[in-house]
Amino acid sequence: MKCPQILLVVSGAMIFASPNALASDVKVIANSSVKADMLSAGELKRVFLEEKIALGDGTHVEPVLEKDGPIHEAFLQEYLGRTDDDLRTYYRALVFTGRGSMPRELGSDAEVIAYVARTRGAIGYVSTATSAEGVKTLAIGDTGINAQRRLITRVEPEYPETLKRLSIGGTVRLQVTISARGNVENVELLGGNPILGESAISAVKKWVYATGHSRSVAEESILFDSHP
Amino acid sequence: MRRRMVLLVLVCACFCAGRITLQAQEFKLFDRTIQVHGFVSQGFVYTSDNNWLTMNTSQGSAAFTDFGVNLSTRINDRLRVGAQLYDRNLGQLGQYHPSLDWAFADYRFKSWLGFRGGKVKTTLGLYNDTQSLNFLHTFALLPQSVYPIDLRDATIAHVGGDIYGNISLKRRLGDLSYTVYAGHRSDSIYSGYPYLLSQYGTHFKSFGGLQYGADLRWSTPLKGLLIGASRLDQDTTGKGTSVSPFNPGGGTISYSESSKADWTNQFYGEYTAGKLRIDSEYRRYVRDQLIFGGSSENPDDVRGWYVSGAYRIAKRLELGSYYSHYSIVSLVRGALAAAGFPSQTDTSLPANHIYDKVITARVDLKRFWNVKVEGHFMNGYGNSTYPDGFYPQVNLQGFKPNTTALVVKTSLNF
Repeated sequence: MKCPQILLVVSGAMIFASPNALASDVKVIANSSVKADMLSAGELKRVFLEEKIALGDGTHVEPVLEKDGPIHEAFLQEYLGRTDDDLRTYYRALVFTGRGSMPRELGSDAEVIAYVARTRGAIGYVSTATSAEGVKTLAIGDTGINAQRRLITRVEPEYPETLKRLSIGGTVRLQVTISARGNVENVELLGGNPILGESAISAVKKWVYATGHSRSVAEESILFDSHP
Repeated sequence: MRRRMVLLVLVCACFCAGRITLQAQEFKLFDRTIQVHGFVSQGFVYTSDNNWLTMNTSQGSAAFTDFGVNLSTRINDRLRVGAQLYDRNLGQLGQYHPSLDWAFADYRFKSWLGFRGGKVKTTLGLYNDTQSLNFLHTFALLPQSVYPIDLRDATIAHVGGDIYGNISLKRRLGDLSYTVYAGHRSDSIYSGYPYLLSQYGTHFKSFGGLQYGADLRWSTPLKGLLIGASRLDQDTTGKGTSVSPFNPGGGTISYSESSKADWTNQFYGEYTAGKLRIDSEYRRYVRDQLIFGGSSENPDDVRGWYVSGAYRIAKRLELGSYYSHYSIVSLVRGALAAAGFPSQTDTSLPANHIYDKVITARVDLKRFWNVKVEGHFMNGYGNSTYPDGFYPQVNLQGFKPNTTALVVKTSLNF
């Protein structure tokens, strides 16, 4: 009896100690020459499989990989649906039949950021905790009509008392990344007062949308009306 | 062979000791980055009875080597150029005569429209263009009913052009990839078919001709499922000398053969889910050759199919298995038939089929280095007017109906 219990505890500890990253820990970054702010998950996959060398607006793109690590694994699983071995086999098939080249592989987030910053059309991925200075962050999700997700639970943001008293209001625009399960994974401020934005972000993080086929990105506007 | 085995063991020992690492190389030339990649593989085959793949395998043979190296670069956002040199020795085939495997310029106008011109690998089924790249595959030998290693030259490449593209279908219907091609195929005289005919005193000086076809594959909305179809048409001519079958003592005469019909239809599917991969392909190859200057005709109807499965049970270990089914109907008409050369039509006879059950273990020692150990349990030897692995020249004692083979192969790439 004691043995299975120990095994259970050890397995549990191993699961919690696992270095695996979640998809929400990954952000996709691009060189400033990439005009788009958002890519569909399908577009991103085709860029990394070298099936797409230019975006719809004609911008040239090239993929940049991390050599290994939990962020790399999470990116492959979430966006390419392949293991590291599968992806390497795929690239080798391209390289040795002449149909593609081996993408640049770099050893750390810092190296990826530096390379993407100086390379026209480069698209890579790093941890969300890494500063993306010098590069732009791309929103990834389904775009178009299919992307519309029904909001099920809405939490109203708190209007900061000081701003309300001073009649400072307006509309805050947010970019919301919604998981397939409907939870909000990430919120970024697109426009509006930053203090109101902070309040809006903390409320929107509690919103729940209807489940979807895959992760999607929505744009939400929240009005802070100073003269109700 | 002994020296080669010693060298192989030494190389393996160095890798095991972690002294050598392989990395893709890059260098700059006229401000352009040139990528350099290469591979090498070495195999060993031991069979219980018949000699296989033109090697003396019943004694154990390591005459199973190939390697290649390529250079490629991007000229601009849309244009890439590159070339690969390839060489092999497989028993009596290849004999270390290097060849240009591919060399082309690739211009992609859009994702859905690109053009390749030069010597281009032929897209046919799941693995025709990658059949020599052993390190990509689970198996040491791909199913020989569809990808006969001794007949690699027959389908591997053409000098000409491809139009290709990838189309993302709306309404979540998946992706379509297409390739349409035309060009000239040129076989090495050190390949399987010329070697087979050498038993009759026929020696080719050249063999090749027009090759054109198309491939369409659909990545379906069902995650991991790909299905596709390929069609290949050829019009080949072979020229050389031969001993006349009608007057064997009369010395050599000039020999020619040409296609009356030559086509392949191939249908395939692949399903991957996590660490599991299942493939299946069906190929029908019909070749109707006018031989001895048209005085005789030899229509062959070759049918092959396989089902394979592979599962990665650990990061460095993958197990796989397949069943491969090959049959041939070979007719002889005209002067040769009148001279008593028989047609072979009963595919239940071992001479007209090969049924191969295979199990494999692939061990990835490093990212760039793997070793495969594979068992083949074959019934039949498919010895006809078109080959598939078994040749009478290396089986002078005659064929036995069953063959068990052990194949060990190691591959390195950078």
